[in-house]
Amino acid sequence: MGSLNEKLLAPSVETGDGFDALRRQALKVLMQHGFPHRKVENWKYTPLSLLEKRAFAQADAPQASWPAAEVPAFAGGLIHLHDGRLDPARCCLPDGLRLEPLTPADVDTDALDQTSSADAFAWLNIARLGQAWRLTVEASIADPIWLVETFSAAFADAVHPHLVVELAPNVELTLVQSQTADGAGLVNGVLEIELAEGARLRHLIERASGETARIQRTRARIAGRADYRAFVLDGGGALTRQELILELEGADAHGGIHGAALLHARSLVDYHTAINHRVGPSTSEEDFRILADDAATGVFNGRILIVPGADGSDSRMNTGNLLLSDSARINTKPELEIHAEEVSASHGATIGQLDDTARFYLRSRGLSDTQAIALLKYGFAAAAFDGFADGPLGDWLIARLKQHLGDDA
Amino acid sequence: MLKIENLHVAVGGEEIIKGLDLSVGAGEMHAIMGPNGSGKSTLGYALSGREGYEVTEGSVTFDGVDLLELEIEQRAAAGLFLALQYPVEIPGVNNAYFLRAALNAQRKARGEDEVDSMSFLKSVREQLKLLKMDEALLKRAVNEGFSGGEKKRNEIVQLAVLQPKLAILDETDSGLDIDALKLVAEGVNRLRDEQRSFIVITHYQRLLDYIKPDFVHVLSDGRIVESGDRSLAERLEREGYAFLDEAEA
Repeated sequence: MGSLNEKLLAPSVETGDGFDALRRQALKVLMQHGFPHRKVENWKYTPLSLLEKRAFAQADAPQASWPAAEVPAFAGGLIHLHDGRLDPARCCLPDGLRLEPLTPADVDTDALDQTSSADAFAWLNIARLGQAWRLTVEASIADPIWLVETFSAAFADAVHPHLVVELAPNVELTLVQSQTADGAGLVNGVLEIELAEGARLRHLIERASGETARIQRTRARIAGRADYRAFVLDGGGALTRQELILELEGADAHGGIHGAALLHARSLVDYHTAINHRVGPSTSEEDFRILADDAATGVFNGRILIVPGADGSDSRMNTGNLLLSDSARINTKPELEIHAEEVSASHGATIGQLDDTARFYLRSRGLSDTQAIALLKYGFAAAAFDGFADGPLGDWLIARLKQHLGDDA
Repeated sequence: MLKIENLHVAVGGEEIIKGLDLSVGAGEMHAIMGPNGSGKSTLGYALSGREGYEVTEGSVTFDGVDLLELEIEQRAAAGLFLALQYPVEIPGVNNAYFLRAALNAQRKARGEDEVDSMSFLKSVREQLKLLKMDEALLKRAVNEGFSGGEKKRNEIVQLAVLQPKLAILDETDSGLDIDALKLVAEGVNRLRDEQRSFIVITHYQRLLDYIKPDFVHVLSDGRIVESGDRSLAERLEREGYAFLDEAEA
């Protein structure tokens, strides 16, 4: 045991790489406010005791051996991080996509809270900034690009990958972020996404269950007529905290979040989402589902903000939750904060158990109780991905969903 | 085919079926009518094995097998089908996937080969066409967003695909307009043969104008109090259930 400051912070070392001032700034915030605890509202249901129990190695050397990244044949390109580090030589990108080291000017700290511990892990990412990259997308790519993050069983570091993705005006891309979680380390990632006017990004996040603690901040800035949609399929894990922030910054911008978290064993998974309508008219929709089995804990906090003057905004949010065992827990909270007059906003939240009548109905058609339960779980989760995609990517997602649900699906 | 003797069923500790006897032979069409609360739906659920419908006394044999010993899905595989009064919505599961999974689960339980996707779809499309249902329903979630009539017709599609030996239709006519009622009746009549039997639970004579029952039974307070041919249904339509009270008095 020990404080997170002791475990995760290190004295500031001047490297001369241009990021020193940023690291000093981040370290200062962290030293002042520390890490969040359960009395901080946004971390109320997410204890960090797992991190306090772990001793993180601070290995800076790249791993000697890299596993092959498993990507389907229809992938249009690959970015592969292993144990939180990226080797550009192992990436394979089509024309129109450019991966290059981040510059200090690319790091955006304006949106981070400097007055409390709420954004401590994002500051930690900057304080410990090592490898950091920018992916620039200048041409539409039809086939999905895979961003694969693998971890070795021996992974016990705390790593802080930082990636900025920029889409030029009117380009379209599908990005599939696929993560394994084999080692007992910490990956504390920041992903900043910027969509220029009319750009479209479909962002699929697929997470396998495992021991790796994951704290991820993802923020998408969406310009006028641009369209960002996140689709999350989370298989659970020892500790996952995902902050997903959508900033609708231009007229007719659209943001969407669709997700299903399938939790079992002692998984602790927390999704904090925010959709901020900064300009109107802009539209958003959100449908997030948690299925918690065994002694798993799921947390969903979905916030919609419509600022003064963002008239004509339209926002719909739904969160559905299934408790599959007596020991599972789900904490779900939709939050609407509306400061404009001419808007349309709705939200709904349900927590329940599998419907006995539906179970009977399926069994009365010949399915076993096990099959009926699996089909109901599948249907509940799959409904979050309605209209996601036809073709190979849609098939891939459904296959992964069934794999997360187990053999009976 | 089906022999029910002295059946007693309790729901939540309250006895609803109070000593019911009924025999259904192969190829026969039986209609069960009766006032609200007489136990008609309870009979359908109890025969299907739904939890909460406790058989406290009596026996039910189906093709010589003790039906009450079988799990719900075993009853389905043995050839029993219940068309629900309120078909259930299953969000996220498309109709085609569900129906094929159900058919193959039944076939597997009977030691038969699974049907391949092509021949399955061909058969379902034929049924949809006959029932004047849009083929797009196959890709939609089971019963989700269906109109009341579509849900009832979807039950008949399932019936036609699963080809049970005995189908119990629980108020399949309720909520249907006259065109939908005719389509459902035609669907049922197409499935009639010398081996397949039906128990049709209904409040109204009008369904029986299109589905000609061999026998009509009146269920009251958990017992069959009157049995006869089609003319009994016509009498009920004319006189209501009041004559039951007179008979008891």
